[in-house]
Amino acid sequence: MVKEIERAGIPIVQMANLIPVAKTVGSNKMVPTISIPYPLGDPSTSKEEQWKLRYHRVGVALDALTMDVKEQTVFKVKI
Amino acid sequence: MKLELGNFYVKDIVFGDETSYSNGVLTVNKEEALDVVKEDEHITEADLFIVKPGHNVRLVPVKEAIEPRTRVEGGPVFPGVTGDLMQSGNGRTLALKDCSVLVVGKHWGGFQDGLIDMSGEGAKYTYYSQLKNIVLVADTDEEFEKREQQKKNRALRWAGMRLAEYIGSCVKDLEPEKVETFELEPVTKRSKEENDLPSVVLVLQPQSQMEELGYNDLIYGWDTNRMLPTFMHPNEVLDGAIISGSFMPCSSKWATYDFQNFPVIRKLYEEHGKTLNFLGIIMSNLNVALEQKERAALFVAQMAKSLGADSAIVAEEGYGNPDADFIACIAALEDAGVKTIGLTNECTGRDGKSQPLVTLDPKADAIVSCGDVSQLIELPPMETVLGELESLGRDGLSGGWEGDEILGPSVREDGSIIMENNSMFCGDQVVGWSPKTMKEF
Amino acid sequence: MKKAILYINQFFGQIGGEEKADIAPEIREGLVGPAMELQKRLGEDVEVTHTVICGDNYMGSNTDGAIETILGYLEDKDFDIFFAGPAFRAGRYGSACGHIGKAVKEKFDVPVISSMNEENPGVEMFHEHIYIFKGGASAAAMRKDIKKMANFGKKILNGEVLLSAEEEGYYGRGIRRQVWLEPPVTAADRVIDMLLKKVRGEKFQTELPIPEQDMVPIAEPIKDLSKANIAIVTSGGIVPVDNPDRIQSASATRWGKYNISGLDRLESGVYKTIHAGFDPAAANADPNVIVPLDVMRAYEKEGKIGKVHDYFYSTVGTGTTQGEAARMGKEIVEHLKETNVDGVILVST
Repeated sequence: MVKEIERAGIPIVQMANLIPVAKTVGSNKMVPTISIPYPLGDPSTSKEEQWKLRYHRVGVALDALTMDVKEQTVFKVKI
Repeated sequence: MKLELGNFYVKDIVFGDETSYSNGVLTVNKEEALDVVKEDEHITEADLFIVKPGHNVRLVPVKEAIEPRTRVEGGPVFPGVTGDLMQSGNGRTLALKDCSVLVVGKHWGGFQDGLIDMSGEGAKYTYYSQLKNIVLVADTDEEFEKREQQKKNRALRWAGMRLAEYIGSCVKDLEPEKVETFELEPVTKRSKEENDLPSVVLVLQPQSQMEELGYNDLIYGWDTNRMLPTFMHPNEVLDGAIISGSFMPCSSKWATYDFQNFPVIRKLYEEHGKTLNFLGIIMSNLNVALEQKERAALFVAQMAKSLGADSAIVAEEGYGNPDADFIACIAALEDAGVKTIGLTNECTGRDGKSQPLVTLDPKADAIVSCGDVSQLIELPPMETVLGELESLGRDGLSGGWEGDEILGPSVREDGSIIMENNSMFCGDQVVGWSPKTMKEF
Repeated sequence: MKKAILYINQFFGQIGGEEKADIAPEIREGLVGPAMELQKRLGEDVEVTHTVICGDNYMGSNTDGAIETILGYLEDKDFDIFFAGPAFRAGRYGSACGHIGKAVKEKFDVPVISSMNEENPGVEMFHEHIYIFKGGASAAAMRKDIKKMANFGKKILNGEVLLSAEEEGYYGRGIRRQVWLEPPVTAADRVIDMLLKKVRGEKFQTELPIPEQDMVPIAEPIKDLSKANIAIVTSGGIVPVDNPDRIQSASATRWGKYNISGLDRLESGVYKTIHAGFDPAAANADPNVIVPLDVMRAYEKEGKIGKVHDYFYSTVGTGTTQGEAARMGKEIVEHLKETNVDGVILVST
């Protein structure tokens, strides 16, 4: 799916927990998420913390869409 | 650790007045057996059937398979699960061979439940069609999960274990027909001959992905989601330390019977002292987060290295994202210089062209492949169905569906079915029975 | 009586060599050139009714037209199987056999069998689409190659059990299927055998060869994010609670697009996940953990992005075949393009 969208020339970033899987399927831009069932917000933390984490990681993903990369890249996240 | 498995080879099973075993015939007092099943008040309805190879019977939704056993020195067959904790893998355990207790839902199935055909074309898809089976068909009052796709199946699975212990207990005072001895010297106390052979650890990745308790495989009653890789003696696995869970799509699942009889463990015992030095088992796990997967792989590789393992076999109970645990573990072992073989099944999709595992790594250069979860299987109607055939399509079994634009419903009006191998009960037999492999066409 | 049709080039069609390589396709009744040997090998139960001939250069430079013409010839013919070649090491001929073979397979859904040498570029291009047998380097191998094609064709027409690519002798089509080993050897025995070979440094054969990765060129990055229309796509199965598109919870073949214009976030109880591969509790309690609409709106308000696209797109990743995923991807792409989406965030579970 990622490949089809990228093949069409639309920049895409995959937010995934299983980075090895994303790499294997041929994603070029990847941002890690925290788990499979809740990629962007750990339910054992407060709503504020979940928001902060989600806001940060989606922000990294948005920036990744503007980056000119030459190979498969995993973008670093801080929280 | 020394385990003696005393075997009784069951040639026939009948219902009768007294639950007993004599000359290959296992007699079951149905009423007494059902009383044991109903000790749990959550069981609302229950019945027993005897089903043998060649019978025109289809079983669905099958939830569990257990070998009837008993401990000569006393104690539960499944320590920490059906009774107090005790060390398993020592002493003498008696087993009724060539038969199993199968647990079937009277109505409701789930993602993790499967199907068994005892005869015809469908019989080859599961190991259990070759066994004589005491089939418990029951329902429960676990309303909270009745319509959930994922079911803990707690009352039914525990009823099956109680039933297996009850039936097994009838041979307690009898002399077994054959005794198999499983014994390994402690790792540092082995003979020169053993130490000169290439050493091997078996790395198991039992199903442990559900963060909510009650769905995962249990080790001494402890939920495998709450553990890190640990070193175990193979006898513990063969002797009831681990029971199957209720989460994994069925053809990938390892039933409790599979753990009790684990063919790869038995094979490693056969080779021990001849071609290999079998060090033991690293009991790992399957996870839902990358960091957890990587952490488990670190633990496994370190343990293998510290044990001095020259080689390893890694086996996963699952497919899909567990492939990431599987491949990560193989890569970590290879990086540590441990020559590693993987044991798994594949999911290549309806067209057979999809990537066989969700992650791949050139380091995984030696894999034994046991089957394809996505293979379509079409089977004619069966004379008798135990359980409820509709469950295959209705209840979200991993290999069934209510409707499909091209294939129609899984369950047809005439009782014939079309399904994915995914729901064949423990069909891919990654524990080592599998006579199947994967080939390119 | 089953019927077969054979495709050959101008040279084997006895029209001429390089100087005739640009002749347009024609169809002749009966047997021309290699068709005679093919007929002999197929025996009495299969009749080769027609021979299609086309110049290699013509096929190379007018591929679509040539295919269309030939498919037109075949439209009113009754045939059960299609052969092409053998093409040996002739690159243009191999590629022509592949082009026409693939088109015939797709249009008429009959088995298509060819033969090429491993160095023929047609193998790499078409081995996934048709049966290409491993053939000789030159026409000296004609009889041998035709025999292989014919024998396999008969096997298919007789409904016999077909063995794996390696056993039958054709290049694998990338289709992996389970088979029962004959005689049976359990996985436990195989694993020990492979292990002993690997530790002893002997040759062993994995049962799952790791395929090479197929990469897509990286799309041009977004130049001005503050004007960009960004869409959210997920394989995490987030849908309106009544799952209006009936997306399957595993092995999905369907996807849905859901209008979120005017919404600040996805509310629990209005949206949920139908993905069967994980514990749904967290996503059901707050669907934004998979479809992060809430923070996307924040970025929209801040002006970091131009706009959150009016729809999000959803399907279920677990057990979904690559073929299905690619088809759904293409369908989604069409919609993305129509609605001028500039970039995509795909959240997978």
